[in-house]
Amino acid sequence: MNSSLDRSIVKRGIVDALPLFVPAIPFAFVIGLVIVESGLSPFIGWTSSWVIFGGAAQLTIISLLGSGTAVAAAITAALVVNVRYLMYSAALAPAFQRQPRWMRWLGPYLVIDQLFALAILRADDEPKDFRTYYLSAGLVFWTLWQITTAVGLVVGPVVPEAWNLEFAVSILFLGLIVLGIDKYPKLIAALVGAGATYLAAGLPNRGGLLVGAFVGILAGTVAERLRE
Amino acid sequence: MTDFLAIVAVGVGSYLFRGIFILALANKKIPDPFLVVLQFVAPAVLGALIVALLIDSDGNVAIGVPEVSAFVVGGAVAYKTRDHILTLVAGMGVFWLVRALM
Repeated sequence: MNSSLDRSIVKRGIVDALPLFVPAIPFAFVIGLVIVESGLSPFIGWTSSWVIFGGAAQLTIISLLGSGTAVAAAITAALVVNVRYLMYSAALAPAFQRQPRWMRWLGPYLVIDQLFALAILRADDEPKDFRTYYLSAGLVFWTLWQITTAVGLVVGPVVPEAWNLEFAVSILFLGLIVLGIDKYPKLIAALVGAGATYLAAGLPNRGGLLVGAFVGILAGTVAERLRE
Repeated sequence: MTDFLAIVAVGVGSYLFRGIFILALANKKIPDPFLVVLQFVAPAVLGALIVALLIDSDGNVAIGVPEVSAFVVGGAVAYKTRDHILTLVAGMGVFWLVRALM
């Protein structure tokens, strides 16, 4: 470990990541339950936690393989769920230009919604600070995900659904949007993105998310142009 | 074995999605108009994600008074305190409270 590692930034990354991980715990348990019910070998099912590392896509591929869907169709559906990562990759690209090569190869593997939401707020930090923060938060998410999805294989069936803990994800993302809004075109992008997703909610394969995100980005860009 | 290969295929594809712009743009000048657009990715995708997370398997958005109340209070707390944990506690607290009262 680099002796000049800034411990306060490591701590910040960990402290920011933990509350964002809490709502992923019931989700991890659901994945464990779905793996068990799918008829896949539990170990093979669990490998998706580090091979894919993305809950929604894991849930999609495992439940479709378990239901006997054609393999190519199952793979396609799971990839569609992750198409939004293309947008994260583009948005993070400027920050990663200032990173060493190893970080540009390792960093993308850790990208999930929660890490993107935290990291994009730090995109203008010093490159070393950004890297320390990104890896600290990212490794917290990664490590806890491996553990909780494994635990989920055993305790998946016993989580009370009535708590609706998964709603906490929406609350936390709202908080992250609020922290990231420094001018009104970003507010427009968020509101239009949410509204368009609502209107497009009926599209298959979570297509509404992509339509909504695209329209939101467009609206923010137009608002920015009008402001200039 | 087929199951594992399918998982690997999704893993490789997801990595490419995550990495393609980070790796392809590593040493290139990113055009200014593209940078203007990129700053709206985070608010737009996260805004869309908040709603998408509430979509049930029939394509309906499960959003009612408890959810809206939680968003208003959670958003206000996030704005005032800039603290993730307080935002989470306030938002979920209001969500459970309003749902219990209805």
